[in-house]
This record gives sequence, C-alpha cells and structure tokens, in this order.
Amino acid sequence: MSSLYESLQFLLLDVQKQLQNIEDALDHQDPAFIEKSLNLMDYIDIAHLNLLQRARHEYQSLMHDSSRESQLIVQSYEHVGHALKALAKQLFDMAVQLKKICGSNLLHKHNVFSAFSDLSKGLSLVLPAIDSDSLGLSIDICRLQNRIHQACQLQIEKYKKQLRTGQQTDALLKASFILKDIDIMGDALLRVGEGIISANLGQFIQIDRYHALEASINDLKQDISLPDLRIHSMGETKSGCTISGVRSSKETEGEILAIFKEGKKQKLLEEKKGIDSWNKKFPGIAPEVYSYQKTGDKAALLFEYLTGKTFDKLLLQKERKPLKAGLKTLFVTLEDIWQQTRIDEIHPANYMQQLEKRLKNIYKVHPDFNLKGLQIGDMKQATLEKLVKQAAKVERKLKVPQAVYIHGDFNTDNILYDSVQQHISFIDLHRSEYLDYVQDLSVLMVSFYRMTNFDPDVRQLIRLAMEAIYDFGQSYAEKIQDEDYSLRMALGLGRSFITSTRFVFDKEHAKSMHFKGRYLIEQVIQLDKANRKKYEIPKEIFHD
Amino acid sequence: MTKHTNNFEHESLQDKEAIVSYLKALTKGIEKGEVLFSDDEESLLLRPNKISRLRIRASQSKKEQSLRIKLSWLSDEQDSSDNSPLFIKPKKNKQSD
Repeated sequence: MSSLYESLQFLLLDVQKQLQNIEDALDHQDPAFIEKSLNLMDYIDIAHLNLLQRARHEYQSLMHDSSRESQLIVQSYEHVGHALKALAKQLFDMAVQLKKICGSNLLHKHNVFSAFSDLSKGLSLVLPAIDSDSLGLSIDICRLQNRIHQACQLQIEKYKKQLRTGQQTDALLKASFILKDIDIMGDALLRVGEGIISANLGQFIQIDRYHALEASINDLKQDISLPDLRIHSMGETKSGCTISGVRSSKETEGEILAIFKEGKKQKLLEEKKGIDSWNKKFPGIAPEVYSYQKTGDKAALLFEYLTGKTFDKLLLQKERKPLKAGLKTLFVTLEDIWQQTRIDEIHPANYMQQLEKRLKNIYKVHPDFNLKGLQIGDMKQATLEKLVKQAAKVERKLKVPQAVYIHGDFNTDNILYDSVQQHISFIDLHRSEYLDYVQDLSVLMVSFYRMTNFDPDVRQLIRLAMEAIYDFGQSYAEKIQDEDYSLRMALGLGRSFITSTRFVFDKEHAKSMHFKGRYLIEQVIQLDKANRKKYEIPKEIFHD
Repeated sequence: MTKHTNNFEHESLQDKEAIVSYLKALTKGIEKGEVLFSDDEESLLLRPNKISRLRIRASQSKKEQSLRIKLSWLSDEQDSSDNSPLFIKPKKNKQSD
C-alpha cells in the first residue's frame, strides 16, 4: 500500500499548493496567484490518474488475497483520491470566476478567510489521519465541513442583504457563487474524511450531511457509451457503488430514464436479488431492473428511475401537509405489505444482539460513550454491555408476531413518496428479509431523529413524525393482538439510537441519542412482569 | 414583555442539617413536578419534565472540594405552530363487543 500512500501524498501536495495560491490571491488581491493555481490543474489530473493506476495494480496483486480489509483500504484510497480531485476541480472553476472580481473587496471577508483556513487545515490533517490508529483526526476533518458550511452561509446572508440595496449587484452575485463553490469544497473534504474513517472501521460509511448529495455531482462518465444517451453521475452509495442517471440526449432537459449503478459484484447482486424478491412479493414497490451485467468482481445494474421525494427531503420542506400525506400513504402501504407477506414463522429481530455487535465501532467514533460502571453513594449504574446482556434476556421472553418481509435498511432516504400518484417506493433493498415489523419502524423513527438539522420547525416535525410512526405501529399491533409491541419497540429504538451515533459527529446530538437509547433499555429491564403488559414508551423521548 | 431567560440564584452558608433540608425541598418539588423559587422581588416556577438530563460533577483540589448537580430539560412552551399529530389512531371499538 506504500505506493498508494505515496501517490496520494503527491496529489495532496498539489491540491494544497492550488489552495494556497487562491488564498494568496485573495489576501494580496493579486491575479498572478490565480494563474499559478490554474496551471496546477494539469499536475493534479496526472497525480490523480497515477493514484488510480496504482490502485488498479493493488487490486490485481490482491487477486489471491480475499481479505475484505485490504480491498477496502484500496477502495478508500480511491474514494479519498476522487474527493480530492473533486475539490481541486471546484477550486479550478472558482479560480476562473475569481479572475473577474479579484480586485474587489467583497471577498476580503473574515468568513471567506475562515472557510479557506478550515479547508487547508482539513487538507493538512489528511496524512496524519491516515497514519493515526484512532479516528479522532478523520472525524475532525469531517467536522470542518460543517464549519465551512456555516461560514459560507453567514457570508451569503450578508451578500443577500447588500443585494437588496441594489448596488454592485453583479459583483455581489459573483461573490455569492464563489461562496457556494467553497461550500461544495467543504463537502469534498467531508468525503475525504469518510474515506479514511471507512478504511479504519473496515466498513464503508457515509456521514450524514447538512445538504443533499445533489451538490456533489462529479465529472461526466465517458467510459460507458450508450447510443443517444447521456450518463450523469449522481453520487456514491454507502457500499461504494457509483450511481448515474441516464437521460436521453435529444431533449435539452431530458428526463432521467433510468439509474445506472456500478460497483462490486457482490453488493449489486444482493441489491438485484432484493429488488427481484420485492417485485415477486409486492409488485410496484421496488424499481424494475432493466439489465444486469458483470465482469470479474465488478457489476453494473440498470434500473427504473423512480419519481418522488425521499422522506428526509419531504420533511425539510417544513410543511405539514405533504409530510402528513406522505406518512399516511406510507402507513397504508406498510399494512398492505405486512398483510400480504406474512408467513407462518417467527423471526425475532434480536435488537440487543444487533447492538452488541456494533458496540466496538460506536466506541471507535465516540470513545467517551464507553463508560465503566458508575457508582455514586448507593446508586449504581451498569455498563452498557451489562445492560445489553440483561435486556437480551428480557427480549428472549417477548412475544414476536409472525414475520413479514421488511426493507431492512428503512432510512428516510430509502423511501420515496410521489405526491402526484400518491405512491410509495423503496430503494436500496439489499438487506430485505423476513423479520419482526418493528425493526423497520424503529429504524425509520431514529433515522428521522438523527437528522443533523436543528431548525426548531424541523425538530418539531421530526418529533411529530416519530410519534405518528409509533402510534401507527401501535394501532397495527392492536389489530394483530401483538401485546409486546411497546417493549420490542423500546429495545429497537434503544438499539437504533445508540448504533446510529456512529454516523453522527455533532457531539451534543450524538450524546442525546446515546442517552435516549440507554434510557429505553434501562426502562425495559426495570419493569416487573406485571408492568410489562402495561408499558408504553414515554412520548418525551421523541423530544430533543 | 416576556424575557427569554429568567434567573434565580441563591448562595448562603449552611450546616449539614440545613443542606439536607434544602435538598429534600428540591426532591419534593421534583416529585411534585413543580419547584418554586422566590424572594421578595421575583419568583420563578420550574416544572421538571418526566425525563430530564442529570449531570453530576464532583471535583477535588488542595483548597476545595465541590459537588455540582445539574438538571436540565426542554421547557415545553406551546409554540404557535401546529402541534397536532400527523397520525390519528383509529378508534378501537371494533374488537370489543
């Protein structure tokens, strides 16, 4: 891997130089620095190609080494490389714009310099983060994205105010665009951090971000040439697949016709199997597969582009009506699915087992959650490990209703609602299986809660959405006489609250999730048999 | 005229027995769901939630030992925006006779 490290070093150095030149240009208001930065792009292209070539060599030499870990490390280098390239490309585009207003004072602002200094701080942390055994530095890199985003937003707000005065409008608009560019560079930095964290955790992860993936549109993919079609990159998934939209090139604003996903064969095969099985069991909920192709350990999947909005976007609109309508349709659909796919078998979700398996990775991201047993006077607090073991004992005694076919990764961004057709569709179906229906509901509730948007209106809708899902589940439980619904839900929520903290780097938010999870598990343990039947989850838990 | 934050502060020298009484007064208030703080000029009524965050900090130095207990919860001020539920549970009298 040392050759990969070396080529990353070169790439990084060039991007750092490029960034420094831009900073100098702003600082001294001297366009000569901009030229220098523009000239570096060729070097960066070469350094990036070099990195990709070496990655290919590594893959070849790993042919006989089937260990997932070393494969993932190479993959992570590629990911970091792509993110750096995207950052450089953004810098390049920005420099072109900057030439036009370099002399202006509009960019000579504290927020701009602070964003740039965070960017260069992030870059300077890349190699130390790779060298380090702990995740601290790579998490720091990810956190910088938020600071950069805040600084850019603040400055853009100021420009907006100035724009209202009607003076300098042209320059102000240009400056706003430049700030948007810097914001997007922050996203690229976040992806650099993600890449390093993934290599360290041995699992590909993607950190929740403040704004949608849409901003991270990459370069056009030219290596796949289909007649009359344009392929447009749309981002990457948690499992490291790249996704592209396929449009017809005839119309200027062609509709997306299909989604093209390529990546590791194993992942894509799982996804295809998931889609196929849903299409058999509950037609209409999953996209249609148009074609599946494989070569070596890579594969590509072409499937139907589904219309609609994911639930996180629906909520961020901050309007009650569409959210309420979306949830209503979702609930009707879920009841249909559960009724039609119910089998005569019991498949407990084993929430506590799921939690136990992930504890190590949670502590890697949040070492301070790994508390040793605590005692104050006569009061004792057990370690989380102990709680999980005790709760697992209670869990084994709980009644589980007949298994239904569940999504398996029921996050807000994996469910689409089309408000025109009033139709729900599912995406990312590689983990579907027969299980306790409460698994999907609890995962969905926490995926609402864990959104890192702290606008009070958004938080209120999140709370209401969680309550709605809980109440819907409860009314379904009453229908099928599922007596232990609330208890399994408490353990499911406990599991998801705690395990999801590994995707949440906002310390306070992660802490609040951890506390909630622990609280619910403690509650279940402390109930005596008589009170178990009466248990209901306190609604306060859905508040912040 | 509503202020966003209200403060009440008290500091005095007390013996052990009196301190226990203070703590008991607080526990009683927490149990009841209402703790009233007042002096001649101002009063402040806190309503602890069913669930609150508890933070205990103990520290020791050569000069001093200290114990800080902090309880915090979100005040559920009813804001003007629509707080009604997004899902209404169907009435459940179908099953019963």
